[in-house]
Amino acid sequence: MALVVYFRPAGGPADDAPAARRGGQLVGAIRGEPRSFNRLVDRNQTTELLSMLQHARLVRVNRETFELEPWLAERWESSADGRTHTLYLRQGVTWSDGTPFTAADVLFSLDAVLDPKVESVMASQLIVGGQPIRASASDDHTVVFRFAAPSGPGLRLLDGLLILPKHKLEARLKDGTLAQAWDTKTPPSEIAGLGPFVLREYLPGQRLVYDRNPRYWRTAPDGAPLPYLDRVVLEIVPDQNAELLRLQSGDIDLTQSELRAEDYVPVRRSEEEGRLRLIELGVGPDADAFWFCLKPEAKKADPRFAFVSRPEFRQAISHAVDREMFAETVFLGAAVPIWGPITPGNSIWFWPDVPRYPHDDDRARELLRGIGLEDRNGNGVVEDGRGTEARFTVMTQQGIGYYERGTAVLRDELAGVGIALDIAPLEFGAMIQRMLACDYDAIYMRALTTDLDPAVNLDFWLSSGDAHFWNLAQTSPATEWERRIDTIMLEQAASVDQERRRMLFRDVQRIVAENLPALYFAAPRLYYAHSTRVQGVRPSVQRPPALWNADSLSVTN
Amino acid sequence: MIRFLARRLLFALVLVVAVSSAALFLTRLAPGDVTSQLGPFASPQEIARVRAQYGLDRPAAGQWAAWVGRAVRFEFGDSFLYNRPVRGLVGRAAANTAVLAVVALTLATLIGIPLGVFTGSRSGVAATLVRAASLVCISIPPLLTSLLLVFVASRTRWFPTGGMTSVQALDVQWSAWIADVAAHLPLPALALALPIAATFERLQAQSMSDALHQPFLLAAIARGVSARDLIVRHAWPVSVRPICAVYGIAIGALLSGSFVVEYVTAWPGLGRLMFEALRARDIYLVAGCAATGGLFLAFGSLVGDLLLAAADPRAREAQAA
Repeated sequence: MALVVYFRPAGGPADDAPAARRGGQLVGAIRGEPRSFNRLVDRNQTTELLSMLQHARLVRVNRETFELEPWLAERWESSADGRTHTLYLRQGVTWSDGTPFTAADVLFSLDAVLDPKVESVMASQLIVGGQPIRASASDDHTVVFRFAAPSGPGLRLLDGLLILPKHKLEARLKDGTLAQAWDTKTPPSEIAGLGPFVLREYLPGQRLVYDRNPRYWRTAPDGAPLPYLDRVVLEIVPDQNAELLRLQSGDIDLTQSELRAEDYVPVRRSEEEGRLRLIELGVGPDADAFWFCLKPEAKKADPRFAFVSRPEFRQAISHAVDREMFAETVFLGAAVPIWGPITPGNSIWFWPDVPRYPHDDDRARELLRGIGLEDRNGNGVVEDGRGTEARFTVMTQQGIGYYERGTAVLRDELAGVGIALDIAPLEFGAMIQRMLACDYDAIYMRALTTDLDPAVNLDFWLSSGDAHFWNLAQTSPATEWERRIDTIMLEQAASVDQERRRMLFRDVQRIVAENLPALYFAAPRLYYAHSTRVQGVRPSVQRPPALWNADSLSVTN
Repeated sequence: MIRFLARRLLFALVLVVAVSSAALFLTRLAPGDVTSQLGPFASPQEIARVRAQYGLDRPAAGQWAAWVGRAVRFEFGDSFLYNRPVRGLVGRAAANTAVLAVVALTLATLIGIPLGVFTGSRSGVAATLVRAASLVCISIPPLLTSLLLVFVASRTRWFPTGGMTSVQALDVQWSAWIADVAAHLPLPALALALPIAATFERLQAQSMSDALHQPFLLAAIARGVSARDLIVRHAWPVSVRPICAVYGIAIGALLSGSFVVEYVTAWPGLGRLMFEALRARDIYLVAGCAATGGLFLAFGSLVGDLLLAAADPRAREAQAA
């Protein structure tokens, strides 16, 4: 077997080597409650953060470099066809309750995620070539994963496989109740993990307290056991303004997410006073999107669909928006113009030469005229030959400053070329319900990606995907260009030749830029702030920006 | 008296049923449901499972009937947001709100009524300043008051900026825990108490001013009653009746929770729980919070009536009838 070997010696020491102090507690803030401690059935950000504190994976995508790194598996070998991966587990690792960790736990975890009765939210990530990933153990510390087809992301997919304790959960899997296991009423002692911390207490509405896992397997570069911290406390602070004030006052050390653009100035002042450290994370990998419902079945009675479904209409919108001004106004200058869903924050997959639509109102009007849209009655709004006006309601989530500014700028910019937008800020739940039913004209919002590799986000790219938001979950591609994207993306996801994958993905980005099912205008620059007493932060543009690396964080006093 | 109490008990029962049922129906009818918390890209199977779990796949009337059937046994269903029974969540939050409400009401009473007596019986710069301060406190929205107090706390470090306990209270004795809670109370209690104190002050001042012009007060002056006794023993008992009338409303409103103050100051009370439940369309949690709020409103109304009866013999006679 031809092998591609990855090996990192020294038994998994942390890369960062600041002069870290052992002990102390770090206080973070989260804005929502956990619904469950069972990551298999809950995808919200709080549960994901808690799983990072208490659990571990075989391999980890480093949230700073986005490279794959050994974790519970200290090394691996992959076959040249990318279908077989042999992972060698670390020796001597034990669960937080003292039980030895073995390959049986890995096989159990894979079974748990893929069990149809569990209906795990993580299962789709472990499907390759339409088949679930299979695994077998040749001994207690060697696991062989077999993919039904070659996979571009390869072992990156295993970043989505949380390792669960077989000795604690096997009975629940057998009796079909694993989905209900580890709910928020579970006594903390029942939850065993391989992560750096163990749950000590959860007070609903107040806080979660995590204590150091004394059996954690990872060590610092000097050989000292990690984590450095004795305790991590997560205060539940629902209001973002209050969260910022508590950060500035020193009541909390860090937050769960990046700063809002409007928070930059006050945080800068706190930095000058020496209380906070302000970090520019870089351009975010996710950007706000503006899109129309393009589901023909839902819009067959809507006369506007005749022109909304034309790429020229959406190209006209793209020309009508001054992206520099958009970035300046919506994100208060902390953003860069973009022309597609892949932002410069995703440096591996970003294609700078993606087709662009320079700000040009005349060109926009010309494109609209080309599809029969003109202002025939002089009321400032273009209409087609039958008198149907290009007037739309754009929904956005209420209470989010940059959404409200973004829709206001779009309304003003599109009015300049005769397209009328009415803004409807809605409560999130109501908006999502209407989005799923395609009961809307247009939406402006941001969807967060789980991984920067496009092949891990096939639910967005494929026409059958649940995150293909302009026309969700199609039974067969509604348009020829979506069919082409499906074909290319499946090939891209199945290729193990990285250069080939890059070229194929450029084709996809070009097709998307030509057809503009969703329009992108600016990607925000992200800033993060934490108390100066926190050391060892390796900031990430993905959430959580600091706590993804909790085992290497320390505090000065 | 027994008839009066029985009537009030019946009123409380009707109020609780009406408020919680209305909350359940309105949450059901409002756009969006709890499945939107699964995120924009949840699978149809996942959505269907959650809808079935929370009875959202049944007609609203059927869901209501099933909920009432359980509620009479004090089982209010499970919260989606917290994935645990509503009863425990609401009970804990109501207790936290009650602590805050009692302190806020005490503060409002101790600040508002004496100041009202002062401004109602005196004129001059001090009285004008108090009146102006009251108007400011009534005018500022609670959101702004709360944020302002959090800001002051964050700059001065006089008291904690939010929450009900600090992390240090994890491993301490009861006495230290109570001291820790007490240290966290000033901020939300002040945010709640200031507008109520200002309302009490305005009402008390107006009422005191009216009372001081009553004929029996003029007779007391003619009898040579001292100025202090005139106000404390003669005018105040008469002037306190309007306060008693609004006291019940204030008690009810405070006990039902102020979501703005609790949200901003991260106080884990009923108002914040209700707000989060409404936002998430967590239907059983909304209904449970509404039922508890209704109960508190009925209790506040009862206390207000009893206070009024104590202060006014005519009200006592009317209640007895």
